[in-house]
Amino acid sequence: MVSRIYFDNAATTPLDPRVREAMQPYLHEHWGNPSSMHREGRQTREAADIARRQVADLLGAEPDEIVFTSSGTEADNLALQGVLCSPEVRAGHAITSAIEHPAVLACCRHLERRGTAVTLLPVDSAGLVDPAELERALRPETRLVSIMAANNVTGVVQPIEELIGISHRRGVLFHTDAVQAFGKLPLDVRRLPVDLLSLSAHKLHGPKGVGALYVRRGVSLTPLLHGGGQEGERRSGTENVAGIVGLGTAAELARAEMAAEAARLVQIRDWLIDSLPALIPSVYLIGDRYRRLPGHLCLGFAGREGEAIKLLLELDALGIAISSGSACSSHHAGQPSHVLEAMGFDPPRARGSLRITLGRFNSQHEAERFLELLPGAVAGMRPMGHFAPTA
Amino acid sequence: MVDTLNVELPGLDCGLCGYRTCTELQQRLAHSPKLLERCIHLSKDRVQTVSPPEVPPDGATKSPGRAARPAGGPAVLPVLAGGAAPTWHDSLGREFDFYLEHFPEDRGPREIILPHNPLITRELAVCRGDILIGRPLGMSCGCPITHCGVATEVDLRTGVIVWCVTGPLGPRQHGFKDLGYYIAEGYEGLVRETRCELKVGLRYFFQPRMCMLQWRHSGLVNYLNRDSAGYQVRLEGLWIG
Repeated sequence: MVSRIYFDNAATTPLDPRVREAMQPYLHEHWGNPSSMHREGRQTREAADIARRQVADLLGAEPDEIVFTSSGTEADNLALQGVLCSPEVRAGHAITSAIEHPAVLACCRHLERRGTAVTLLPVDSAGLVDPAELERALRPETRLVSIMAANNVTGVVQPIEELIGISHRRGVLFHTDAVQAFGKLPLDVRRLPVDLLSLSAHKLHGPKGVGALYVRRGVSLTPLLHGGGQEGERRSGTENVAGIVGLGTAAELARAEMAAEAARLVQIRDWLIDSLPALIPSVYLIGDRYRRLPGHLCLGFAGREGEAIKLLLELDALGIAISSGSACSSHHAGQPSHVLEAMGFDPPRARGSLRITLGRFNSQHEAERFLELLPGAVAGMRPMGHFAPTA
Repeated sequence: MVDTLNVELPGLDCGLCGYRTCTELQQRLAHSPKLLERCIHLSKDRVQTVSPPEVPPDGATKSPGRAARPAGGPAVLPVLAGGAAPTWHDSLGREFDFYLEHFPEDRGPREIILPHNPLITRELAVCRGDILIGRPLGMSCGCPITHCGVATEVDLRTGVIVWCVTGPLGPRQHGFKDLGYYIAEGYEGLVRETRCELKVGLRYFFQPRMCMLQWRHSGLVNYLNRDSAGYQVRLEGLWIG
């Protein structure tokens, strides 16, 4: 039996065996509550503290600036609601982009209903926020800017450094959803002085069910969860120690391997980009050519966008797991991708992209196998016309 | 000629350019100046000051969205619309009369479909509960999107299938039968929001709530039953637009 090829690492990643090994003791022999005073409690407290240091080290931060959460979504919600739901800020103004993950956009809609004004910045056809647009959108009452570090559909990396600078010159806090970028891009907060940064373990070969929010010292947050006051009164609830240990180990591994891994994935990614047009003339690349995550490709097939579902199913049957760029990988018939629509794609095209995301356990050999199979699968799609890629 | 040797790389050794270290990239810049655009830490403006944008290498894929921003659009988009009242306009700005929802007991929008080759229903031995995929083509509802669904009724004499449209997760998990092209002959569903009284025998513009493109459709109401939740309707003679 031919082994399957998993090219959907932006959705989730396989657990690294080294992470699993580090977590094992905290699923078995060390089960104490980190808040307890006895030895059982101290053991898990120490483990969580080590993990906190490991996550902080990857960000160039201090351990007390890391708040563990249940997910990247919770981290985003804690950042946005934590800043914007304080009594003095509720009627303020926030700025985000049109291509954010639903964890940010849906949270913004919730905040709007509570009285916060929200401005969505557009992106250009390459998927980039123009810093000049942010400059124009800032108002005296703006309290928070939230722009993702890298997009989950296109993989495009935003010019965060410039956007932070613009926000800070106007005294506005800056949050970034770095769920896709954490461990793949250098995000040292001494160089990129964000105030809040969301991350998740399972995008980085860590376990599901654990994330974190970096909160710069001095930034005050109203908690989402009230209770026993864990995580420095910022996130109550008994800590998911095994998950936290997994996140810490994943961060430690990424710190050691990130540069070599990025270079390796970029080589494979660019080999794919360079090889595809000769094999599939209708292919086009979505998003900026180079400002993208190392293993992240988003492709369209001109005139065949409506058949993306069929292509996904055929590739799945051939043993290749990839994803649609739209929301349609859920249980329900999906909408066109809001990300691609914001980039100017019409709805049929915004519905039909293909997301290929490579990770730590993918190889050049798998990419070659993928290119052997993809042209046949694309040829089997029923075209709407025989169009050339958009010029 | 651009003096790329004097470009200051950020020294992050991040690997995102495809080389493990900035030193390695710097050495290659002497022979291939355009490699500089691979450094994502140099902003576009800064890159352009030292090296004008170049045509992508032959064979490289091209970004498609370059014409994309709608002309005359505002620089900053307006505030998000959350929980807004119906505007009675589809995604292309065209008016419609009502939203068509699916029945709560159904897994998705209920459609009466006929494969372009009706014999395929028998050849594939389609039966209730089968997961199907296919694309609506031509008359009527020439939607460009492949649909997935679960068969709820099958007529082997005529090839007509009633199915509920779903997302692709079912086919992905459990396999599927491919109908090829099909014709959407009718829709059945609920009308909870309408801006006009509905009558049997009249054609209406309507917006299927789950339409992926949010394009209005039109059809003739040939069954109508009013209940506390709204109207139960059947529409035939369907067109997009």
